[in-house]
Amino acid sequence: MVPMENYLVLSGIIFSLGVYGVLARRNAVLVLMSVELMLNAVSLNFVAFSAYRIPSSADATGIIFAVFVIAVAAAEVGLALAIVIRLFRNRSTANVDEAATMRW
Amino acid sequence: MRDFTLFIPEYIAIAGAIAILATELIWPKIRKDYLAYATAAGALGWLVAAIPYIGDTAGDFEGVLLADDFTTYFRILAAGIVMAIALISAHYMRDRTSTAGEYYGLLLVAGTGMVLMAASRELLTAYISLELLSFSLYILVGYFKRDRLSNEASLKYILLGAFSSAMLLYGISLIYGVTGTTSYEGIAEALAAREGGTDAATVVGIMLIVAGVGFKVSAAPFHMWAPDAYQGAPLPITAFLSTASKAAGFALILRLFTGALVVDAVEWRAVIAALAAITMTAGNLLAIQQSNLKRLVAYSSIGQVGYMLVAIAAIGYGDAATAESASSALLLHIVGYTVSTLALFTALTAHYNRTGDDTIAGLRGLAETQPFLALVITASLFSFAGLPFFAGFATKLLLFQASTTDGLLWLVGLAAANSFVSLYYYLMVMRQMYLFDPPEGQTRFRPAPLLGALAGLLLLGVLFIGVYPQPAFEATDRAASALFEVSASGLLRLP
Repeated sequence: MVPMENYLVLSGIIFSLGVYGVLARRNAVLVLMSVELMLNAVSLNFVAFSAYRIPSSADATGIIFAVFVIAVAAAEVGLALAIVIRLFRNRSTANVDEAATMRW
Repeated sequence: MRDFTLFIPEYIAIAGAIAILATELIWPKIRKDYLAYATAAGALGWLVAAIPYIGDTAGDFEGVLLADDFTTYFRILAAGIVMAIALISAHYMRDRTSTAGEYYGLLLVAGTGMVLMAASRELLTAYISLELLSFSLYILVGYFKRDRLSNEASLKYILLGAFSSAMLLYGISLIYGVTGTTSYEGIAEALAAREGGTDAATVVGIMLIVAGVGFKVSAAPFHMWAPDAYQGAPLPITAFLSTASKAAGFALILRLFTGALVVDAVEWRAVIAALAAITMTAGNLLAIQQSNLKRLVAYSSIGQVGYMLVAIAAIGYGDAATAESASSALLLHIVGYTVSTLALFTALTAHYNRTGDDTIAGLRGLAETQPFLALVITASLFSFAGLPFFAGFATKLLLFQASTTDGLLWLVGLAAANSFVSLYYYLMVMRQMYLFDPPEGQTRFRPAPLLGALAGLLLLGVLFIGVYPQPAFEATDRAASALFEVSASGLLRLP
C-alpha cells in the first residue's frame, strides 16, 4: 500500500502551486483556477486522512467533507465567473491589475 | 437528537427570503421600497420568534448545531441588523435599481448564515455556514452590475475570499488529520490527549485557520479586500459588511477557539496578540489619509477588529474566568459597535440620498443644512473613539478591563494609544461638518422620515448602552456563560 506521506506531500505540492498561481497570475480566470488547485489539495488531504485513519472505522467525515468542498468550489467558481463576465463587459478586461481604480 | 424546533426563527427568515424573491418574480412592477418593508417585517418576525429561546435550555442538533443562549444572542443581533439594513436600503435601492428582490432575499439568507456560524460546533457545518454568508455578500457587494466600482469591489472580494477559504480548509484538513474528527469537543479531547505536546501539523493547521478567519474579519495583514469592498459596495451593504460579517466572524472564532483550540492556546495566543497589535495600528494609521468616507469607515472598522482580537488573545493568555469575562466583554463591544455603525450609516445614507457624494469633504456644512444628521454622525464617531456617555466608551472600557492579564498589558496599552489616534481622524470628519459653510446652493433639507426616525432610535441606543450598559451586559454574560458551559471539557488547559 502506498504510504500516507506520499499523498500528503502531493497535496502539499499542489497547494503550494495554487498559492503561487494566485500570487503570480494576473488574469482573474487563472487566479480562480489556482484557487481550484488549492481546493483540490484540500480534498486530497481529506480523503487520504479518512482512508488511513487509525483505528480505521466506518467514519466517513473526511470523505463527506471532500464532497462538500467540491460542491462549494463549483458554486464559488460559478459566482466568480459571473462577476468576471460583468467586469469584462464594463471594462473589456479580465486582468486583476487593470481593475484597480481603488487603492489604499 | 434531531430536534427541528430548535431553528424555527431561521425557518421564518428563509421563508421570508423565498417569499420576497417570489413576490418580485410574480409581480415585477412592485415598488421596490415595499420589498424593503416586507424584509424588515420578516426580520421582525424572526426576532420575535427568537425571544422565547432566551434562557431556554441548550438544544443540540445531531452534535453539529447548538441552540443555546450564545446562538440566541447572535440570532437577535442578526435579525436586528437585517431589519435596520432593510430599512436603510428602502429609498436608496428604489432610486438605483429596477430589481431588488435578490438584494433583500440575500440579506435574510446572509443573516441566517451568521446565526448558523454562531450555532456550529463542528468544522464542516461552520465552513458551510461561513460560505453561506460569504457568497451572499459577494453578490450583494457587486449588486450594481453596471457600476465599475461595484464590479471591481466584488471581484477583489471574491478572489481574496476564495483564496482565504482555501487556506482555512487546508488548515481544517490538517486538524482533521491530527485529531481524526471535526467536532469541536472531539478536537479538544484529541489535542489534550496527545503525547509530547506540539507537533508541526497542528501548528500549521491552526495558523492556516487563523489566517482564514483573519481574512473573513479583515484583520491586518489580511485586510486588503476590505477598503475596496466597502467603497464599491452599495452604501447599506457597506454597513452590513462592517456589522454582520464582523459579528459573524467573531461568533465563529469564539466558538472554535473556546471550544476546540483553547487546549493548544500556547500555539496561537502570541500570533493572535501580534495580529491584534498590527490590525489596530494599521487600521488607525491608514484611516488618517483617507478622503472617501466609506474607506475611512473601512479602516476604522479594521481598527475595531484589532480591539476585538485583544479579547481573543486574552482567552489564550488568561485562565477560564478571564476567558469568560473577556468573551462577554467582546460580545458587548460587538453590540455597541454594531449599534454605532448602524446609526452612522443611517445618517450617511440620508445624506447620500440627498447629495450623492460619499467623500469626507461632501459632509461640509452638514451641521447647517441638516443639524440632526450631523449630530447622529458625531455621536456615532465619538462612540467609535470611545468617549464617555457613548456606547463605545462603556464597551471598550469593559473590553480592555476584562482582557488585562499579565501577558497582555502591552497590548491593552497599545489599544488605548490607538484610541487616541482614531480620535484624530474622527475629529477631521466632524470639522468638515461643523466648521465649514455648506457649498453654494446647498440649502437646509429634511431627511426622509423613515431614516430620521431610525437614526433617532439608533442614537438613543448608542446613548443607552453608553450610560446604562447593565441590561446589555447581562445578556452578553448569559451568552458567554452558555459558551463556556459547552466547552467545559475544552478547558483542560496545558500548564
